[in-house]
Amino acid sequence: MKKTGTGSRLRAFLRSFLIQGSWNYRTMLGGGFAFAILPVLKRLYRDDPEGFRQALQRHSEHFNAHPYLADLALGATCRMEEEGRDPEEIRRFKVAVRGPLGSLGDALVWVGWRPATVLVALALALAGAPPWVVVVTFLGIYNAGHLFLRIWGFRQGLERSSRVGDALRYLALPRQADRLAGLAALLLGGVGGLALARSLDQGPQALLWAGLAGLGVWAGSRMGERGWSPGLWGTVVVTGVIFLFGWFA
Amino acid sequence: MDPALVPALTLLGALLALDGTALGQFMVSRPLVAGTLAGWILGDPVLGLTVGCVLEIYLLPIFPVGGAQFPEGGPAAVVGVAAAAVVPGPGGLALGTALGLAWSQLGARSIRFVRKINGRLTPDPSEGEVSPTRVVWGHLGALGLDFLRGGTLTLVGLGVAGVFAPLLRGSWSLGMPATLALLTLGASIPAGALLTSLGGWKRRGWVAGAGFLGLLLGGVLL
Repeated sequence: MKKTGTGSRLRAFLRSFLIQGSWNYRTMLGGGFAFAILPVLKRLYRDDPEGFRQALQRHSEHFNAHPYLADLALGATCRMEEEGRDPEEIRRFKVAVRGPLGSLGDALVWVGWRPATVLVALALALAGAPPWVVVVTFLGIYNAGHLFLRIWGFRQGLERSSRVGDALRYLALPRQADRLAGLAALLLGGVGGLALARSLDQGPQALLWAGLAGLGVWAGSRMGERGWSPGLWGTVVVTGVIFLFGWFA
Repeated sequence: MDPALVPALTLLGALLALDGTALGQFMVSRPLVAGTLAGWILGDPVLGLTVGCVLEIYLLPIFPVGGAQFPEGGPAAVVGVAAAAVVPGPGGLALGTALGLAWSQLGARSIRFVRKINGRLTPDPSEGEVSPTRVVWGHLGALGLDFLRGGTLTLVGLGVAGVFAPLLRGSWSLGMPATLALLTLGASIPAGALLTSLGGWKRRGWVAGAGFLGLLLGGVLL
């Protein structure tokens, strides 16, 4: 096995923070993946221009994954290249992991971790914490998880090569994603309670609004994510109408 | 809005656009952070946090999954806070929220546009040989384009806020309690949509229990 050295691997890892920089509808993360793995390929194939050309060609192909978990695929691919694996095997590996790394990352980070940490920040804001406390707390907690996932993924990839599935099974990421979603649901309830507590000084009207908000939660839960997206335009229109009403009043 | 602050706000919008997808995704571009940063530049971080939090709730249930078109919160929060700073009181909060949401949707369309251009900038191995120079400059070019997109989006938004927001001063007919109630009512719908993503009604018991706890805690602390 040819080793590329810590410097090339570190450069590949740091470049992975830009992996979505050229996201497009043809190759998706393909350009970003090639950009990230380039330092490793240059080192590995420094005496083999034809091998380098072919490797760069195959790593520019279509690829997609959650941006944080893409480090797992990147680390594993670096290791497979170092081991001199068959190019077709490397291609098959990348095709096989892109779906699971996408859906696992979406469930773990976008649906679980991000809402949970945002809701912690919203609870702090509702409790009257200074703006810098809210912002620093959110960024600190969120990025602790974010950076852990990237570093863990890249190291696991380098250590386990094409057997990264073992690492995913060991951490039981789908179960962790479900737990995080449960935590976020708890925090959502807590933030709702805090908001109601803050509005109670408005008198009995607050209870009427709370009842209407309950109906809103029910309606939103029926809509789901896809239904709500056009609702953003609806909110703009309603606000505009109230402004116009005020304009003519 | 002091015109001297426009370059700083535009630069902030451009950097936030990069954080949104292309560079790191450290979540500095989330509305609650972006709004607070814009508020700091404008001299009112509390207003920035308030507008940012409202926008955050509205955008929280939408996830950047796959190639989906999703509203962009960072530059939108900068524009929303800048508009809110022009109109004092509840009208500013409403205007900041509305303009922020409109700009988040325009941001979504501009991302889609840039991603189509990225398809031409980055090499496609099915169409010929891929050189390392093309990989590096295609990628850095796409990053630069995203930076320009975010800056332009923010600058246009600041222009719209600077021209139209002063015209709306005094035309908001609701007081602060009614405005907050209305915004909360609006926010309850995305909260419901988020609940669906978090497991839906099967977790309603947890949500209700935590809500009761939050109410008690809020009653004691606030």
